[in-house]
Amino acid sequence: MRDRRAVVTGIGVISPLGNSAPELFRALKENRSGIRLMPEWHEMFGKNIANAPVCLDPAEVKKINRKVRRTMGSAALFAGMAAQEAVAQSGIDTAVFTSGRTGCIIGSTVGSASSMTEACIAEYEGRRNDLSACHFFRLMSHSSSFNVADMFGINGPQLSTNSACASGLQALGAALELIQLGKADVVLAGGSDESTPLVASSFQLLYALAEEETDEPEKLSRPFDAGRTGLVCAEGAGILVVEELEHAKKRGADILFELAGYATNCSGWHVSHSDELQIANCMKNALADAGIDAAEVDYVSAHATGTRVGDAAEAAAIRAVLGGDTPVSSLKGHLGHTLGASGALELAAVAGMMKESIVLPTRNLENVEDCAGILLPREITPHKVRVCLKNSIAFGGVNATLICRSFN
Amino acid sequence: MDRNEIVKAVNSIFIERFELEESELTPEKNIIEDLQLDSLDIVDMIVGLQQKFGIVLRDNPEIRNARTLGDVYDLFEKLANEHPEIAEHFK
Repeated sequence: MRDRRAVVTGIGVISPLGNSAPELFRALKENRSGIRLMPEWHEMFGKNIANAPVCLDPAEVKKINRKVRRTMGSAALFAGMAAQEAVAQSGIDTAVFTSGRTGCIIGSTVGSASSMTEACIAEYEGRRNDLSACHFFRLMSHSSSFNVADMFGINGPQLSTNSACASGLQALGAALELIQLGKADVVLAGGSDESTPLVASSFQLLYALAEEETDEPEKLSRPFDAGRTGLVCAEGAGILVVEELEHAKKRGADILFELAGYATNCSGWHVSHSDELQIANCMKNALADAGIDAAEVDYVSAHATGTRVGDAAEAAAIRAVLGGDTPVSSLKGHLGHTLGASGALELAAVAGMMKESIVLPTRNLENVEDCAGILLPREITPHKVRVCLKNSIAFGGVNATLICRSFN
Repeated sequence: MDRNEIVKAVNSIFIERFELEESELTPEKNIIEDLQLDSLDIVDMIVGLQQKFGIVLRDNPEIRNARTLGDVYDLFEKLANEHPEIAEHFK
């Protein structure tokens, strides 16, 4: 057992299914979908494309200090608002933020995809001088991280893990390691991302977007299902207050779960082809890091996005490491793929599952063919979740696995 | 353009970009000390004024030396006299 352990004392969420962790968990239990068609994108794609957008209350956004807000693109706003919820839930004395012992690690695929697009359009149209002095700060890769640090006056380590769809989970892994190493006592960590036409078209180009014409967009995202045709893009943020165990105990904090182990690796050979062997290695390494046996895992929160190759590779890796008796589900059937936010955001649901001793199913999963051999519940299942293994898999051949263990 | 039009146009930048109330915007106000603009805001003030008045200001030493809101009004009153295209931009 390591000297310094890291626990989660607060979770905040901005998602297509609600702008708080309780709202999200309620929506998931009601089997709702955050996915809709985007008529506002029709002209760009020449067809109806599905997406899972976030809706922010402008009055809530305006409560963020203007001098911080001015450098925030949507992704940073999502992160900032999720961080406010996480900090409030943790009940932490905010004086610790300015002690030099609090860090902030938030990752995104792109600092702000919409701000990137705006800058390109301004450049193309010869309007470079119309851009705000703050515009570049909105699209920098670490925009969410430094903006959230500025919101709370955090003056310890500030990092940004930008590994596309593994960004959020890598941020939590880095937070765990920072605490284990004694370099911080508290870290605000997680992921955020925006879904824009630029993002969706990147997946479309690779035949990885579910884009068939339909009146039922809520059925398009079908992780692990035989009829899956690709992912549906989504956006949001998940931010967690990660705290050194004794620090949390000393102030009598409610501990949601422990970050017990973590690993990340990469395939080293292909940017977009999931590598079953390296996913399995990543899972094994995370379990070894936690000192937890595969048989102790009660639930797998899968990355599975609904792509043909990716889901099959992850299912095979889970089968190889854990066998076929551990419940597995992906929340991307409900939420779509919240990209760099997904790893952290989906942990909000894991906390709910641990608390209520249930496993949520994968929405839209009807027929399992090439993903057979793992246990995929079709409905909410009563089940004690003490140890959860969470996967994230990203472009660049990047894998990340976090082991979460219930406390007490 | 008369002085009132210029004051209204300049003030609109401070209201829209810096979320200030119109009642705060009086000529004697120091832009940094009273209106709390910082270095990034000053750049955005110049960007906003350029868009509003349709001229390039970036290298104009007078805007960079402006200390009070009155200095900005005075500068644009002078510029409007020197550059009739500013009035055209408003039509």
